[in-house]
Amino acid sequence: MQKHNQKEHLYKLLVIGDLGVGKTSIIKRYVHQNFSPHYRATIGVDFALKVLNWDSETVVRLQLWDIAGQERFGNMTRVYYREAMGAFIVFDVTRPATFEAVTKWKEDLDSKLVLPNGKPVPTVLLANKCDQGIDVLMNNGIKMDQFCKENGFVGWFETSAKENININEASRCLVKHIIASESDPVQSIEPDIIKPHLNSSKIVSCSACFKS
Amino acid sequence: GYLPANVDRRESTLQRKRKEYFAFVEQYYDSRNDENHQDTYRQIHIDIPRMSPEVLRLQPKVTEIFERILFIWAIRHPASGYVQGINDLVTPFFVVFVCEYIEEEEVENFDVSSLPEEVLQNIEADSYWCMSKLLDGIQDNYTFAQPGIQKKVKMLEELVSRIDEQVHRHLDQHEVKYLQFAFRWMNNLLMREVPLRCTIRLWDTYQSEPEGFSHFHLYVCAAFLVRWRKEILEEKDFQELLIFLQNLPTVHWGNEDISVLLAEAYRLKFAFADAPNHYKK
Repeated sequence: MQKHNQKEHLYKLLVIGDLGVGKTSIIKRYVHQNFSPHYRATIGVDFALKVLNWDSETVVRLQLWDIAGQERFGNMTRVYYREAMGAFIVFDVTRPATFEAVTKWKEDLDSKLVLPNGKPVPTVLLANKCDQGIDVLMNNGIKMDQFCKENGFVGWFETSAKENININEASRCLVKHIIASESDPVQSIEPDIIKPHLNSSKIVSCSACFKS
Repeated sequence: GYLPANVDRRESTLQRKRKEYFAFVEQYYDSRNDENHQDTYRQIHIDIPRMSPEVLRLQPKVTEIFERILFIWAIRHPASGYVQGINDLVTPFFVVFVCEYIEEEEVENFDVSSLPEEVLQNIEADSYWCMSKLLDGIQDNYTFAQPGIQKKVKMLEELVSRIDEQVHRHLDQHEVKYLQFAFRWMNNLLMREVPLRCTIRLWDTYQSEPEGFSHFHLYVCAAFLVRWRKEILEEKDFQELLIFLQNLPTVHWGNEDISVLLAEAYRLKFAFADAPNHYKK
């Protein structure tokens, strides 16, 4: 079935953010095209797969890792983060505290995961539940653009899993950045900044309980 | 449950414990919106409508009861506090106690608020103490970094490598990590993997088994995994394997399936528990 010269990419994407912001709902909408207001709380990690016909010669397979929102794992999240190529950080526009937690999630991600070239993984910010009509944070798009720039997000989208708003768009944006970061590994967005990052050998030996 | 072995003391213990629970409620429940406790309460509040299974949880009366039980437990156990998954663990007890008052088939549609207030209070207190007793034995599952779970997942891996090397190797070859599917098995005591009626049957055995929830559960998990060996060995890729392992087809399971599972778990326990080097490579 596969065309002769078709290229296939497989990317592992993380979906993280505080509990109850709608991570599972976004994934179910994206992968299964449906929505329920009553998904069960995710325990540990849930896994889903989405196949995109990126263009006439490229197929992109996305492994979506839906990670439970309650920060209780300590170093265990490292096991889930490993080898991810991109991430969505989600917050709930109706609960400002979940937006305040966004920087915490971003720092956690960047401290545990870097691309082989030493740069942080491309991350898109999702302002979910935008159908609720509460624009406490969204009244100023310029402010959000500024926030993304300051915190190293490649973009942000107002999304609604319920109404199917902007989820495909957000995913295309993230995949676009992943492909760009892959094809041009020497390009640097912040050339003057040297970021300390964890040595990859540390990741393997970090936990006494989980050496393999 | 939590009753003393001595029959004569049972009734008085029950009364005393119920009183004690409602004294806790009186003492602590008003503090749920205080600064130190509001995060805990908010998490519980968000998670109640997201419990497993779907039955009952959307009734306002049930929500109220579960919120109280979980909040009181969380602030009386500050070492762990409330952890996602604990919310599921109240349900089997609650349903069993409610079933005493209704016809067995009706539980899914039963309106809990139709029970007399006093009955509901007793059910609430009894569910609290039963859940507390269960959690006492597995508290390190829920303390920071969940060391109990990390240890048990590791033990499961070690056990499976001895009892079914082929399955173990297959998972390993496709880079499936036990933590990716078995974390939930430990955290929610298989509640998410089998229907509620099966959980109740399973926990019945756990309660009559010494260290049922903390130790015997491990052998049940191993038997449960190996139960799917044929399907596992047929899947030839990481994605398919993980999706299968996270969505095991148990929806039609009944008592019979749990009995077979338990029998196999007993067999494994006898063969391997006291023989740590049995089949070890």
